[in-house]
Amino acid sequence: MNVFDPEVLGRCMSCGFCLPACPTYALTGDEASSPRGRITLMRGIEDGTVSLFDPAVQEQASMCLGCRACEPVCPAGVSYGLLLEQWRDTAWRGRDTPWLVRPLLALTRHDLVLRVLGRLRRHARPGPRRHPGPHLLLGCVERVLFPGVSRAARAVDPDLQPGRGPGCCGALHAHNGRLGEGEAMARALGDRLPGTIVTTSGGCAAHLAGVLGRDRVAELSEWIVRRGLLPPARTGQARPRVAIQDSCHLRNGLGVSATIRTAVGAVAEIVELPSARDCCGAAGTYSLLRPRESARIIAPKVREIADAGVDLVVTVNPGCQRQLRTAVRRAGLEVEVVHLAELMAGQR
Amino acid sequence: MTGRTAGAVDEQVIDRLRDAVGARWVRTDAATRRAYARDATPLFDAEPDVVVQPGTTAEVAAVVRIAAAHGVPVVARGAGTNLCAATVATHGGIVLSATRMDRLLEVSEAEQLAVVQPGVTTTALATAAAAAGLLYPPDPGSRAVSTIGGNVATCAGGLRGLKYGVTRNYVLGTEAVLGTGEIIRTGGRLVKDVAGYDLTRLLVGSEGTLAVLTEITVALVPAPPTAGYGVAYFDSLADAGRAVAAVVGAGLVPATLEFLDATCIEAVESHAGLGLDRGAGALLLFGDDGAPAQVDAALATMVTACRDAGARAVTTAPDVATAEDLLAARRCTLPALSRLGSLTVLEDVSVPRPRLAEAVARIGDIARGTGVRVGVFGHAGDGNLHPTAVADGQDPAQVAAVHRTFEQIFQLALDLGGTITGEHGVGAAKLAWLPRRLDPAQLALMRRLKAAFDPAGILNPGKLGS
Ligand SMILES: Cc1cc2nc3c(=O)[nH]c(=O)nc-3n(C[C@H](O)[C@H](O)[C@H](O)COP(=O)(O)OP(=O)(O)OC[C@H]3O[C@@H](n4cnc5c(N)ncnc54)[C@H](O)[C@@H]3O)c2cc1C
Ligand code: SF4
Ligand code: SF4
Repeated sequence: MNVFDPEVLGRCMSCGFCLPACPTYALTGDEASSPRGRITLMRGIEDGTVSLFDPAVQEQASMCLGCRACEPVCPAGVSYGLLLEQWRDTAWRGRDTPWLVRPLLALTRHDLVLRVLGRLRRHARPGPRRHPGPHLLLGCVERVLFPGVSRAARAVDPDLQPGRGPGCCGALHAHNGRLGEGEAMARALGDRLPGTIVTTSGGCAAHLAGVLGRDRVAELSEWIVRRGLLPPARTGQARPRVAIQDSCHLRNGLGVSATIRTAVGAVAEIVELPSARDCCGAAGTYSLLRPRESARIIAPKVREIADAGVDLVVTVNPGCQRQLRTAVRRAGLEVEVVHLAELMAGQR
Repeated sequence: MTGRTAGAVDEQVIDRLRDAVGARWVRTDAATRRAYARDATPLFDAEPDVVVQPGTTAEVAAVVRIAAAHGVPVVARGAGTNLCAATVATHGGIVLSATRMDRLLEVSEAEQLAVVQPGVTTTALATAAAAAGLLYPPDPGSRAVSTIGGNVATCAGGLRGLKYGVTRNYVLGTEAVLGTGEIIRTGGRLVKDVAGYDLTRLLVGSEGTLAVLTEITVALVPAPPTAGYGVAYFDSLADAGRAVAAVVGAGLVPATLEFLDATCIEAVESHAGLGLDRGAGALLLFGDDGAPAQVDAALATMVTACRDAGARAVTTAPDVATAEDLLAARRCTLPALSRLGSLTVLEDVSVPRPRLAEAVARIGDIARGTGVRVGVFGHAGDGNLHPTAVADGQDPAQVAAVHRTFEQIFQLALDLGGTITGEHGVGAAKLAWLPRRLDPAQLALMRRLKAAFDPAGILNPGKLGS
């Protein structure tokens, strides 16, 4: 078959250095659910030793979180995230798309519904029709689930123009077997919103940067640091104790993690969780598709949060925010889970 | 590769395996069998019939008994990072994965030892030792991934071999399951114990052909308080070789003496941009650990030795960050080379230390003859070198040329009084070469030993001892 970019696939030397970084390998200890194992399966798909549509092969395409923790540790520089997108692009075509994903993808394309839902929940109001930017990406999931985040981002930087029109950048599509569609959506968004696009979602940032170029995209913490929007240091006040949850795509895809700490550190005392950099199990649609694994992946993190004795957990991605909030509440912890934008807005 | 001659894995075997370890830990689906068809060795590929992940010693023993009764091969597997196709199921059968047995059972400061299950990673053991102020010295490049079971079964080495030795020097005792399903305990916690043959040593490096390791006791040493590193560039490897000879001649046994040839320097520099001297013919990375004064003295001796041997430049690392950069240069050599072609074959031969420079020069001649790009790096201190070929894996002519190159390199190592593998093992990849390294009487003895441990011949057939 011709599913994968041969140059990227050929680069893997099967050294196994990615195994310890992989959350699904940690759950199972099973080569087949490790990055190297999945790459062996991809090679098998290409040379015909396994079928792309074999249920056990499909299972591995689905069990992967797509967190890309296997990328920064890979000495050979294998772009695993790209290979996974290509895999799902073929494997989840048509009726093989997981049934739960379908309405989601349809909904995010259905921008009127999103816009109405978002408006009802009072996200930031889109600005004038043609604006040179910088633009604030209102997102699709976020606009409905966490409308307060975009308002908070505007409070942090009033110069940010909330983008008009459909908010979905297509990341969800690219990660769920609609690679071409996801890229087209990102390009359309890039045409509609000129200048820098600032996003409050790590997943969107990585996808947009991949399609539009890194220089067109800034994640909120990068933007705050770059524009000098850090609030002045306050003395004599009790600073909240705050844990941070990195965004996988932000950290592993774009290498963004330090600016989050700079921003949070300006207003709070950071308590690093040992697993701050590890996937929380939200992973886009993963928590919906595979609730059991998702819950197992977040369980140790919830214990760490309880032990850390923090007031807040700060996230930089709406999916993580939803996942952590649900898990923390379920565990009965008195910890608030907020978005970086909300933390920063509350401090001025 | 050898064909399948072994007993069939039929439904009855699968059912019995499921009864023994639980259905969840017995998998025969196409994806699982494909994923376990390979390890880190290029060009070797063979699917097992079934993959089993036992959780206890008793379960391991049960699996082996079932296999013995049905004549089914059992391939023990840790992280699958070996480079000699030692975990490729060339005869089909069962891959027995030790990854569920990953508990660190004990670190004893008083006795300076640790007891671990085989699936514990090398780094996990080293970290636990460090927390107790102790050091587990063997540090293979793969340590973040590789398991102690795999390290013991291959007698893994690393960057500290000269001063600290290799895995064999740290194994005090084992618990293991023989090919009959019997459980034995060899050695133990004692430093001195000569009651019986040294079966512990025999199991070290046995590549899963004599027994399946289920528990390992390792010795630890006090962690050295400081370490220091330096780097020297030479016009040729012969000059570097003279520096190494002078260091050893001065009575020094440093922790680190690693070299890169010109091809490796070039590859590392284009990949990592560490500011290496691209014009040099060889790079020597040296270092030592211990008390601060002792480290300073050792570094001074090595700097002088390099200068006297005509080094182009010598520097010592002023701080930890610089030292880390130097070590990174050595550690990223393989990936850096691998970026030059789709097929990377890392080999592993050892020669007597004084003949190292000669060996590297003649490897260069061989590579020019076959037209294959070969970089050489390795452990200058102990004579273990890693000629690494890069080629286009899709081109059969190039693959054949790589094979020819290594045939000649192995012969060269033997001619120089060396060996066909220093630390990576024999596995399926070098079995054909073993008779050129060992005489017939020894090979016959090895087969008899294997038969005593594994009368049914089910433990990792087609590898060492077959
Ligand atoms: C990038 C890279 C760098 C490396 N650097 C080094 C290095 O510096 N020095 C070095 O020596 N090696 C090195 N290696 C080779 C390899 O990592 C070592 O051989 C390591 O010891 C293998 O450990 P593993 O857990 O992956 O074992 P595996 O590959 O799974 O198995 C290796 C052998 O051990 C046997 N085995 C595994 N577990 C058991 C058990 N529980 N009981 C009985 N037998 C068992 C297997 O049957 C097989 O024969 C490197 C490999 C790579 C990919
Ligand atoms: S670390 Fe990279 S090269 Fe090594 S097995 Fe994983 S993907 Fe392949
Ligand atoms: S993306 Fe995450 S879950 Fe998937 S193979 Fe890589 S590390 Fe594992």
